Amino acid sequence: MRKIIAIITTLLICLPFGMLFYKSQVLKLSLLPEMVDDVWNVHMTAKPKGEQTSFSFPIPKPGPGIKISDERIRSKHFEIFIDSNSDSALATWTSKEPIKQKVSYSARIDLQPLSYKDIPKDFTETYPRGLNRYLKIPDLIPEDLAAIAHLESAILEGNEDKTSVIRKIYYYVEEEIQRNTSIKTIHETLNTGKGSPLIKARLFNVMARRQKVPSRIVVMIKMPERKKQQHAKLRFTFANEVFLNNKWIPIDTNRGFFGQRPDRFMVIHRNYEEIEKLISKKRLSYAIQAERARINKFNKAEFKKEVIRSDSIFSRLSLYRLPLPLQTMFTTILLIPVGTLVLSIARNIIGIPTFGIFTPILLTLFFKETSLGFGALFFFIVVLVGIGERYVLDKFYLLAVPRLSIILTLVIMMMIGWSLFSTDISFISQQHLAFFPIVIVTTNIERLSIMITEEGLWSTIKTLIGTLAIAIMGYLLYSIHSLEMFMFTNPELLLTVIGLLILIGKYKGYRLSEFLRFRDLVRQKKKMESKSNDLP
Amino acid sequence: MIFRDLHEMGILGINNRVGRYILRHNKRENYPLVDDKVLTAERASAWGIAMPENYLVVQNYGSLKNLQYKLMNYESFVIKPANGSQGNGIIVFKEVIKEEKDGEVRILCRRSNDKLMDIEEVKHHVSGILSGLYSLSGQSDSAIIQAKIDKHPVFNNFSYGGIPDIRVIVFEGFPVMSMVRLPTKSSDGKANLHQGAIGAGLNLKDGSTNNAVIRNQVIDTHPDTGYKINGLQLPFWREILELAAQCYDMVELGYLGADIVLTPDQGPILLELNARPGLAIQIANLSGLVPRLEKIQHEAPRNLLAKDRVDFSMNNF
Repeated sequence: MRKIIAIITTLLICLPFGMLFYKSQVLKLSLLPEMVDDVWNVHMTAKPKGEQTSFSFPIPKPGPGIKISDERIRSKHFEIFIDSNSDSALATWTSKEPIKQKVSYSARIDLQPLSYKDIPKDFTETYPRGLNRYLKIPDLIPEDLAAIAHLESAILEGNEDKTSVIRKIYYYVEEEIQRNTSIKTIHETLNTGKGSPLIKARLFNVMARRQKVPSRIVVMIKMPERKKQQHAKLRFTFANEVFLNNKWIPIDTNRGFFGQRPDRFMVIHRNYEEIEKLISKKRLSYAIQAERARINKFNKAEFKKEVIRSDSIFSRLSLYRLPLPLQTMFTTILLIPVGTLVLSIARNIIGIPTFGIFTPILLTLFFKETSLGFGALFFFIVVLVGIGERYVLDKFYLLAVPRLSIILTLVIMMMIGWSLFSTDISFISQQHLAFFPIVIVTTNIERLSIMITEEGLWSTIKTLIGTLAIAIMGYLLYSIHSLEMFMFTNPELLLTVIGLLILIGKYKGYRLSEFLRFRDLVRQKKKMESKSNDLP
Repeated sequence: MIFRDLHEMGILGINNRVGRYILRHNKRENYPLVDDKVLTAERASAWGIAMPENYLVVQNYGSLKNLQYKLMNYESFVIKPANGSQGNGIIVFKEVIKEEKDGEVRILCRRSNDKLMDIEEVKHHVSGILSGLYSLSGQSDSAIIQAKIDKHPVFNNFSYGGIPDIRVIVFEGFPVMSMVRLPTKSSDGKANLHQGAIGAGLNLKDGSTNNAVIRNQVIDTHPDTGYKINGLQLPFWREILELAAQCYDMVELGYLGADIVLTPDQGPILLELNARPGLAIQIANLSGLVPRLEKIQHEAPRNLLAKDRVDFSMNNF
């Protein structure tokens, strides 16, 4: 019998891993859907200074590495004209009276990193006419021109291709010009070897154009760090793009990227010269905010295609074939067995007391569907209602089932009240089953008041704390998003769960709580033994 | 390992009790015989095993209506759920009082702790039992109205309030370990260790106490009466063990807890049986169950009569 159990358990635990191995190695399926990059919610406001009836502000435009959706521009009171020339977009607000209000723009923006490796040599001599404006050398005083020419003779070696020339200019500006935000003209930079990010971009721009390479300064916004993103006001920052091999290649001499742009930078305009005056602080004030919006962390749709394409037994059995509402339901339901693992360990190996066997899991589900804070608060209120109701209705001599039903009804009334008067019910609005677990938990509340009278307040509180502790442990486990997805993608792991449950079920050792329970026994026994040894 | 001491002392843990003894030695189909006290009483009377007399069994709400007329016939009684556990839901009434006021008869019942309960409250309690408030599985239950047992004089100095009971763990028909539970003031006169009754371990060879604890703490004297617990020696000891051993034959459960009370006139009678007896008996005796259980499993001869099994236990433990 023992052997059979051992074999079955081993099979149950190992079989799913064999399947995982087969899926990943033979079918070349991924075990988890790919992560989709988070998108950003970007919000900009601007207000002109003085008496202006019209003003313009750059807005993001889709392009390499940037996708835009849900664009919203406030249009009340204004006429809005959006000028989308080939590279950038510029919104112009016009009104009959001077504009005294803030105008706003918001959009959902998906940023992807750009990376051009191994840029081939470029010997282009002539460019389309449209690029001429990117070749025009800005006006500089002769002294600066001479200084730049001197530099060129020092860093460039004559007959090179344009890619190599650009690379050398990049290295020079990136490494030799120190960042110093107080230096704001090319003239000063050439004299001191220091410059602000904008000046570094400008210097690079001039030097590239002098080598007949189309170049421009791009205006970017650096997205906030995760921790500081709440309401951080963002500023413009600058980098370059050069036209090599018929492509605009991103170059950032301030942060050291050649042919790359990480996804934390959002380009808002691709030609600084055009908007230099428009975004000047003298003409307007503006504020830009951005925060992460997690829409769909895992790309389930892509994964579904991948699974179906593999055309194996797994593709026919995959949960990804189910309609979406069912998928959502199963993602939660598949976590329940994992929760029972936690519960079994907590009860049978640690020895934590609980109300009812599955109450902790029901609570976990409730916490997950709402939130930990709200869930715990609501549970606490339910407990109080249960105890209070019993004290009040005790005098009525009601039969047990109607009395329990009254608590149930009271709890449902509380839910209605909460939903009506609470300002924030967004987290329960979509999940119509969110409250269901707590309704079931309610039926255990009666036992709680009986326990208080029979076993005392202290052991009741211990049991309550035990129940909550397991529920929170489960909640922490459930909040691991990839675990949820992993179970959903590979439901055969349920067999492993059964195997592990058999293992726990066969555990005959002591529970950790028994160490506490029998601790006095051991101590007193030892004391007695040492006493009897002392006797002559 | 922190469990080494427990293991060396042969302490039986919950998992081990369930996995190795209860699940293996107790057949599920026999559980109702011990869980339902009505069935236990029927079986016991067939086997000639004495139990407290059941005055009546209330099975439905309809019979609650006339309950007071029936209860009026008794001087004292006990109400308990047929499927209760750990003494939950049991109330002992030592006196039934009839009050006549303006032609209306009012019936009051005096509890063992001297509190008075109106008959309506008593009925409410019974209806709670019927709806399953105290039953093991939470299903609807019946309530037993039972004769109240008197205290044997040997316990006069060792008990506060209610009746002490003697728990004997019986394994495959052999008494394994025993303790007597002595009610205290803090346990509200109940023989319930959870609530603070004394658990006093008993030597199987002669029924004398070997140790006593309240809530895991070793004590010498009864906190309410002040008498030294180790002066207690139970009479009818052999009869008590034989009664416990016979219960194995009666309900065929290999791992069993028999709760026995000493009556002043009848001697030991069976109060109830338990298919999942607790582990606190080890604390009361300051010793572990495992070595004794294993000795019975490996060394005890098979197919003995109850009295021979008692001999084996009295000689060995």
